[in-house]
Amino acid sequence: MKPWSKTTFGFRQIGCTLAVVLAAAALAAVFFVAPTERTMGPAQKIVYVHVAMAWLALAGFLLVAGASVVYLVRRDLRYDDWALAAAELGWLCCGLTLVTGSLWARAAWGTWWTWDPRLTAAFILWCIYSGYLVLRSNVEAPHQRARVAAVLAVVGALDVPLVVMATRWFRGIHPASPGMEPLMRVVLLLGVLGFTAFFAMLLTRRRAQIRLERLLACLEQQVEAGPPFGAGLLTPPTSRHGMWHGQETVPQRLVPQRSGRPSSIRDPRGSS
Amino acid sequence: MAAKLWWVIHKDLVSEWRGRQAWPAMLVLGIAVVLVFSFQMDLLPQQKPALVGGLLWLAVFFAGIFALDRSFAAEREAGCWDGLKLYPVSPSVIYLGKVIVNVATLSALECVLVPLFVALADVPLLERPGDLILIAALGNAGIAAVGTLLSALAAGVRRSGNLTVLLVLPLTIPVVLAAAEATRLMVAGDLGPAWWRWVQLLAAFAVVFTTAGTLLFELAVEE
Repeated sequence: MKPWSKTTFGFRQIGCTLAVVLAAAALAAVFFVAPTERTMGPAQKIVYVHVAMAWLALAGFLLVAGASVVYLVRRDLRYDDWALAAAELGWLCCGLTLVTGSLWARAAWGTWWTWDPRLTAAFILWCIYSGYLVLRSNVEAPHQRARVAAVLAVVGALDVPLVVMATRWFRGIHPASPGMEPLMRVVLLLGVLGFTAFFAMLLTRRRAQIRLERLLACLEQQVEAGPPFGAGLLTPPTSRHGMWHGQETVPQRLVPQRSGRPSSIRDPRGSS
Repeated sequence: MAAKLWWVIHKDLVSEWRGRQAWPAMLVLGIAVVLVFSFQMDLLPQQKPALVGGLLWLAVFFAGIFALDRSFAAEREAGCWDGLKLYPVSPSVIYLGKVIVNVATLSALECVLVPLFVALADVPLLERPGDLILIAALGNAGIAAVGTLLSALAAGVRRSGNLTVLLVLPLTIPVVLAAAEATRLMVAGDLGPAWWRWVQLLAAFAVVFTTAGTLLFELAVEE
């Protein structure tokens, strides 16, 4: 592996830099550019973060559902990596939506929580996300985990419109589209853009990390099992629905070189 | 097809009748919950109708989910699951059979809990039996449709203790909410468009998730 300083400055680095700059610009705009609201004062600025988080929580949920459907059709664990990354980030954004909303409500309505439709729906969404992550942590075999989680994600996605409908029929006090100064709207838009870019960066980074974790587990499994007779030491898995293996071949750069390998690595627990 | 469906239902009802694994525990749990709720409902008679819908449906949900969770866990424990998979029908039929058995289970639970609520808390739940049966039938179908699918999902997971409740509760909140509201309006004697809207939501939920479950069940139990 090349050290970081020698890696090429490719699209990934440009994208990450852009995302960080955009997010920083959005935060700076919230604090220094956006006008302070007359009645609520600086507490109103929570809205810029809150709206972005709420949008990303919903986007994350759609991504999980989409990736899960593709997984169920193709049975390719790479889509499951996307689903997990989106679920983790969506869960985080959903939690932040609830926290920021609660802080704002304390300042605006004088209460931390009301059973307003949108609050309730966001809370239920957060519970569904949590259930999804708990379910995942209870299954070990990758394909089983991916399948079980994907079914739950599809059911959850079907449930969301009904949750929204049910909660909307209670009378609510959440501001739908409050009157805003033009400059405020610009900052809000910038905030949504900046946080979305940052979300996309975290999503791709986390996705890559999850994929590496999975490949590492796959390699460990293969090393422990020893080489199959008459085959190379680390042959790519062939079974489509194998317990542990993805369809992917482990990339060559991740496979340790065979020549330098001490012979004892074949069976680390063997005494002979 | 109908005959095969009937044999799935028949098998479950007979094994429950002989083994008495889930129903007695479910009923005792439901009765205990109703008892505790009734203690807490020490209110003026005119305040009770506002609470009774939510409490009744929470009691039904928590006791019922206990039985729903058993519907696949018991199959696995007894080694019956492999036999069921060999039964030459599409998995959807097994799913529908299980849903029907679970609807029956929930109905039996309600047959005990509703009179108990009327007796202990003195609320006029049985004034309009037809409307209550409509709400209960749709609510049971919704809870059973989601509960059966997720119970099958959780039964395939090794460390699945209590996972079903965790997964089913957030997903069935629309049903519990709609059934509770519809019951509250019914007790208050307000059968206007608001009541009808909640009943429609219950029906929509039952239809959507019975369909989704029929299609997804094969994926949920695949090995």
